[in-house]
Amino acid sequence: MGFLAPWFLGGLVALGVPVFVHLLRRHRTTPRPVGSLMFFECGTQSSTRHRRLKYLLLFTMRFGLLLALVFAFANPFVRRTASDATLPLLLIVLDNSFSMRAGTRFADAKQQALGAIAAKGHSQKAQIMALGGRLNVLTQPITDETQLRSALESIQPGDGHASFGELGRAMHTLAETVHGPIDLHLFSDMQRTGMPANFADVILPNNMTLSLHPAVRGAAPPNWTVESVEAPAALSDPKDPKRSRVKAVVAGFGTPAATKSVSLLVNGKVMATRKLDVPASGRASVEFSPLAVGYGFNRCEVRIDGGDAFPGDDVSIFSVRRSDPGRVLFLHPAGETRSTLYFGSALESAAQTSFVLQSLVADQARDFDPSRFTFVVLSDAAILPSIFEHALSQYVAKGGNVLIALGTAAAHHERIPLWGGYVNHVHEYARTGSPAVVGQVDFSHPVLAEPQPGTNSGWADVRVFYAAGLDPGDARVAMRLSDGTPLLLEKQVGEGHVLVLASGLENVTNDLPLHPVFVAFVDRMARYFSDTDRLGGSTLVDSFVQLRSATESVGAATNVEVIDPDGRRPLSLSEAQTLQSIRLERSGFYQIRFASGRHAVIGVNPDRRESDLQPLGDDVQQLWIGNPGGAPQAVRTTAAGGKYGTVGLWWHIMVFALAIALAETVLASRYMGTQREET
Amino acid sequence: MQRFLDPNVLAGISSLDLLAKTVVDGFVAGLHRSPDFGFSQEFAEYRSYTPGDDLRHVDWNLFARTERCYLKRYRGETNTQLTVLLDASNSMQYTSGPPMKMDYARYIAASLFYLAIHNQRDAAGLIVFDDDVREYIRPSTRPGQLARLFAGLERAEPHARTDFAKPLKYFQNFLHRRGIAILISDFYEEPETIVRTVAPLRFHGNEVVLFHILDPQEIRPVLKGSALLVDLETDQRIEVIPEYTKTTYRARIDAHIEQLRSRARASGMDYQLLVTDQPLDAALREYLSLRQAGN
Repeated sequence: MGFLAPWFLGGLVALGVPVFVHLLRRHRTTPRPVGSLMFFECGTQSSTRHRRLKYLLLFTMRFGLLLALVFAFANPFVRRTASDATLPLLLIVLDNSFSMRAGTRFADAKQQALGAIAAKGHSQKAQIMALGGRLNVLTQPITDETQLRSALESIQPGDGHASFGELGRAMHTLAETVHGPIDLHLFSDMQRTGMPANFADVILPNNMTLSLHPAVRGAAPPNWTVESVEAPAALSDPKDPKRSRVKAVVAGFGTPAATKSVSLLVNGKVMATRKLDVPASGRASVEFSPLAVGYGFNRCEVRIDGGDAFPGDDVSIFSVRRSDPGRVLFLHPAGETRSTLYFGSALESAAQTSFVLQSLVADQARDFDPSRFTFVVLSDAAILPSIFEHALSQYVAKGGNVLIALGTAAAHHERIPLWGGYVNHVHEYARTGSPAVVGQVDFSHPVLAEPQPGTNSGWADVRVFYAAGLDPGDARVAMRLSDGTPLLLEKQVGEGHVLVLASGLENVTNDLPLHPVFVAFVDRMARYFSDTDRLGGSTLVDSFVQLRSATESVGAATNVEVIDPDGRRPLSLSEAQTLQSIRLERSGFYQIRFASGRHAVIGVNPDRRESDLQPLGDDVQQLWIGNPGGAPQAVRTTAAGGKYGTVGLWWHIMVFALAIALAETVLASRYMGTQREET
Repeated sequence: MQRFLDPNVLAGISSLDLLAKTVVDGFVAGLHRSPDFGFSQEFAEYRSYTPGDDLRHVDWNLFARTERCYLKRYRGETNTQLTVLLDASNSMQYTSGPPMKMDYARYIAASLFYLAIHNQRDAAGLIVFDDDVREYIRPSTRPGQLARLFAGLERAEPHARTDFAKPLKYFQNFLHRRGIAILISDFYEEPETIVRTVAPLRFHGNEVVLFHILDPQEIRPVLKGSALLVDLETDQRIEVIPEYTKTTYRARIDAHIEQLRSRARASGMDYQLLVTDQPLDAALREYLSLRQAGN
């Protein structure tokens, strides 16, 4: 405590006042005369003790009052060190990502974390978090070691990918609520792949000190893994050489050149095995063709033989749904066949999809049931038979999908079927002599998603000569022309989607069908409409799957069903009725029945970045903990534990002094009254 | 008139002459309906005539009614001698409230002198003592004796310690006639010693009365807390706790009083405890009863 202030030393003199009043002054008792002491007996010793006892409480209060005032003027403070009760919050983060399954990493890290809990002070608060695919907060800041230990014991190795960037962001959020100092102890294998591209993401707040506890020391062990598998999610013809094939890439991390045996398993049965020469710390691909699968969902996996330190990533799973080719209804105006030609050719060329196109003049679609088709295309078909339009509305409401291309005929009919809007005007760029180009592309839209971000996939070369002017309203604009005119819009109607292309599918209103991007556009649109990606294939751990549309009305809620890789249903009944999406936390096959009634089997694989077991370099670790000079970590940890903070106590002491003063007043009045009676 | 016997009232009277007159007149007025005839010849008894008796004493009225000859006898009236021995030691100046013990003793002495000289025509004298004889006024009925006695009382201021032996021995040297000796003191001495010292006065046929003057606080002292007590005679100081005064002290002072009373009466002396907050009539009544008994 800071009791060396000059006023404090001077105020100590005041403490002598009650001592003088109670102990010294009281000895000078006023003598009381009596006629004779013949019948009195001396009671000096006992009476003195009695008197002192009687006034002891009053003396204590007066002494305490002055002592409190002196202390208050001394402006005392408490230095809170690592051994004190008000210590920094001990934040223990245990990495339970997929890579922690390798060897004894997780067990070692957990033991170290338990040791950190045992070493903390009894009054120090601690909080447990698990860093997997996301940061899980397991406890509040508490001092109970039993709860902390129990929370730590409950952490099990997961399948997620640890991101130190997410940890840094979470710590910034935590620092907004915890204003005191925080000691962050990270128990992890310190994977290099966990570090984000931008180092600023992992910089911690100023009130936080970081201590790293690597679970492994030395170089990372060699590890081979099935890095990626390219396989169709849906297959209609196993003998189709273009689609019926599986391409797997085997990668080695810190590995010597080796020959690995790669197998394809379908529903647990080995279908084919290939020998693959994998270069040192390199990649090699292998292809299995044809992919012989039966109707329905097939659980497939590509496996390499063992022999490395991390067998958990030697397999990659995916599902293939075999079904008859999907049917696409293509309605076009009478006499216009170019759009059918271009669209049909593009659909046939798509590598990932298998559809049969049925083209029809719009006027003849009266007796067609759209529910038998995977999706419907209205190519400049502004006028539809009312019966068919009604059936089409029902179809979309129940999950059907429609692509509407607005060609030149749309200019004559303001109302757009199914869309609910009108054509406000038309842009005839050909008449101005300068056709419009695509200005903005929302590549996050599934139909426009790019396999390689950064390129515009040729959209910039597309020339548009004619476009209908639409009011987007609440629709999502996926693509705009250079003058801002919406070119591609999407609106969800019920469970289905309506996609509007403000230009035609022929080569009159634009030259899109002549560009290769048209094939990719049709392919992605077909896959998007047919839910191929959602109903099968594979995805990564911690990815989300949408279970129902966001616009589903409450009254019409239907149950979804999710069965995790262990065969359990992770959703409660209420969640099954209301949950819109689910995070796939485990690796394995998930069975899902969507709100639209469709079934899916999805293979979930851990993020392959977890297979690179190479830890962060020492220089990066030192830079992260804010010690670029490279001092030993143990020293850093000790320094962090020895930090001081000061907390002023004068306010508390003044309150205490006030309480003493009140009590002293009451007692003193009693004693003074007694003295008056005596005299 | 009784209120004039109240010590608190008397404390407001500075003149001992006036005080004594007030006390005695008040006392006598309460005692007799007509004080003018109270102390003349008093009828004692009838006795049958025997030859040789003085015929002047025959009750002729009775003879006329009964034809029997009886002699009417009266109590003989004699003057007695009152000597007051007043203790003027320092302990007599103790007081817990007016009047002081010494003043109370003066009131009693003055009242007795007034009663004896003015009403009874007795000779009265005074001896003021502490550890020595400070004042001696020979008993007399001469004019001005009362004034001399009052002056002697005025001069009696507490000094020194009490020593009964020396003044009583001195008193015995001048005691040639039987009478009443009243010793006024707080008697802070062992009862055995007091009685042994005072008892020789009885040998000459004197009636000896011990007036024990005590302050109420000396009988029932009250202490709220421990106190440092100073002896007024010896200046000795001791600390005393309240518990002691409530228990042991009271038992001891009560035993002292009772022992003094019993030993005094066993030696043929009268004893009267006078507390300074009580009226003075008890002392006067005691004197008159003794005087009557002496006649």
